[in-house]
Amino acid sequence: MASVKLTEVKKVYQGNVVAVHNFNLDIKDKEFIVFVGPSGCGKSTTLRMIAGLEEISEGTVEIDGEVVNDLQPKDRYVSMVFQNYALYPHLTVFENMAFPLRLDRNYRVFPLNEKEREAIQKKIDSGKLNEKQLEEAKEALEKGKRVRGFPQEEIYKRVTNAAEILGITPYLTRKPKALSGGQRQRVAIGRAMVKDCKVFLMDEPLSNLDAKLRNQMRAEIILLRKRIDTTFIYVTHDQTEAMTLGDRIVIMKDGFIMQVGSPTQVFDSPNNLFVAEFIGAPKMNIVSSQLVKEGNKYFVTPFGSKIEVDGDKGAKLLEKGIETRDILLGFRPEHAVLASKPGPNTIKVTLLVNEMMGSELHLHLLTDDNTQLIVRVPTIQLTDKEREEMVAGKELYITFEGKVMHFFDPETEISLLCEENSPSKQNIEALKEAAQVK
Amino acid sequence: MSEEKKNLNPQVASPVSSSDNIGKGKRHMGLKAKTIAGNTIIYVILVAMTVIWLFPFVCILFQSFEVDHTNMTGNILPVKWGFDNYIRLFTSTDFETGGFGRWYVNTLVISLATAVIQTIIVLCMSYTLSRLRFKGRKFLMNFMLVLGMFPGMLTMIILYRVLADLNLIKQNAIPGLILVYVASSGMGYYVSKGFFDTVPKSLDEAARVDGATRAQVLIKVILPLSKPIVIYTLLTAFMGPWGDFVFASYIAFSTSAGMNVAVGLQSLIATPSAMSANYTMFCAGGVLVAIPITVLFLFLQKYYVEGVTGGAVKG
Repeated sequence: MASVKLTEVKKVYQGNVVAVHNFNLDIKDKEFIVFVGPSGCGKSTTLRMIAGLEEISEGTVEIDGEVVNDLQPKDRYVSMVFQNYALYPHLTVFENMAFPLRLDRNYRVFPLNEKEREAIQKKIDSGKLNEKQLEEAKEALEKGKRVRGFPQEEIYKRVTNAAEILGITPYLTRKPKALSGGQRQRVAIGRAMVKDCKVFLMDEPLSNLDAKLRNQMRAEIILLRKRIDTTFIYVTHDQTEAMTLGDRIVIMKDGFIMQVGSPTQVFDSPNNLFVAEFIGAPKMNIVSSQLVKEGNKYFVTPFGSKIEVDGDKGAKLLEKGIETRDILLGFRPEHAVLASKPGPNTIKVTLLVNEMMGSELHLHLLTDDNTQLIVRVPTIQLTDKEREEMVAGKELYITFEGKVMHFFDPETEISLLCEENSPSKQNIEALKEAAQVK
Repeated sequence: MSEEKKNLNPQVASPVSSSDNIGKGKRHMGLKAKTIAGNTIIYVILVAMTVIWLFPFVCILFQSFEVDHTNMTGNILPVKWGFDNYIRLFTSTDFETGGFGRWYVNTLVISLATAVIQTIIVLCMSYTLSRLRFKGRKFLMNFMLVLGMFPGMLTMIILYRVLADLNLIKQNAIPGLILVYVASSGMGYYVSKGFFDTVPKSLDEAARVDGATRAQVLIKVILPLSKPIVIYTLLTAFMGPWGDFVFASYIAFSTSAGMNVAVGLQSLIATPSAMSANYTMFCAGGVLVAIPITVLFLFLQKYYVEGVTGGAVKG
């Protein structure tokens, strides 16, 4: 258990390729942090820098208040689960899990068992011990034995315990090649579990599993987290995993942090266009529009309609003193609704594709000016007849509520409601600059 | 035969059975005959090659059992069979200080020491080049590749001078030879590096996070997974000094104390008179030299083949 602090961390590879730019993050003790982003965004690199597998070019990484930049991975007391499991093929499952315990050479105090207690008592009673030995024997009786590394019974206890939790007890004598993907990943998690670690690192642990198993393991990781109760740093490219697992999510792009926040925060108030599109599936609809201020009220005008901005959003826009301007308007597929008839606040669209997902329909729509939109409609809201009529070419009208809109600056792509001094705002500007230099 | 059988049961004939006949009959027999003829030719050639190749070895084996050692008439089979030559090798007082036994022990010491030290150096070198990234790594690898292209003989004169100055020749030749055999062993890293490259890097990383040092990663993770290459390296490192004559004769001469078997045996037949006197004993020595290598190969052949192909193909 420990806090992790990254200050101005930078990773520069050979040939001046910058993988991670000025990464600043405070991870609290026992927090579950998820790094998420598309491939090549630097999330794994950052994790590997924390683990000590990658050199830190600039900045500092602190674990439990201690700067660990120059420490070997083994001295950082971290556990790590790898995407490809990284099990030792020549060792049995038991030995794989016992591996970190057998390598540990630290001194620890373990309670005595009955036999050892008797043996020490006998020595004391014999009266043959000198003063120093007597003192040591008494201390051992009181506190337990001080041992370097883990005694055999402790290794057995820890491994069988972890195997029990993960449900891999029947496979302890097998070699990794005789296990399925899911079982292998459990062994990898077990190996990381048994040792005393300050931070638990996971590098896309579920990516190699099939969809069904992934869902199951995701739920198990949530349970595991409750059991282990330590600081977790989890890397994934899957936004669903990020949303379901993380206390806070760090969304990254091209080595920059785009936004840090709780799943609700990043979903409800994305700081910028990238986060808005990355979080949520299917992704948010983005259309060019105008934000019109009329008195104290705001309206958006996508595709000739006029929809009022209401709720908190309107008040926030007013507070910021935003005038009439061009914007990129975002609304999520689940927040749009089908309108029964055309009106001033509806958009006319043509159905392109109808994806039946079971509990909902994903309607791919085309507006009159050839912009594609996606709308999620719960199946339950439609009658059987209406569902049957949903075929390509059908004309529909959609609208959406004013309180769930997102407004982005067309040039900077930053949310109009983003706080002025937000670090992610600075990062987005830096990212733009970096892109221009390229 | 099958044609006849089918004709006997015309009622069984059906479209299926007639289509079965496609490819059978005359054409098929011709193909079979061709295959037999081809195989016969190939086997004849192979047998001929084997006989040519094995002939000297068989001759040596038979000659080693020839009791009448003064008779060099060119018989393949001994006139009189016996183990005299083998006994004489170890008991003869003709050659000084220990004779064949001494040479054998010398060679064993040299070969074992070289095998162990060279294997350690090669494996460490291969691991370093496979796993660590440092400045000049590529240059070093290319440099060693080019350096390896020069024949080792080129260094003989200077090596002799150096060893002579260090007093590591003649009776002190054993440490001298070990030093020379081991000296450039790091350059033989190619095969094992190729093999190490196929061991996933994430295993190293997992082990390092689990608490292993680089050395522990090599010993506890990489080496157990690279058994074939370790055995291959050990075998090649053992075989080099075991049969070396050229360099050993240059360093270890004039006294049995420092000689290996190759040099010692050659000294048995160095002059025409010695040749006629000791030829059969020389053959017996040759057989004894071949035994350990043969035994090693028989037991480790599987790993050896895996090592050679594994390093080459996957690397």
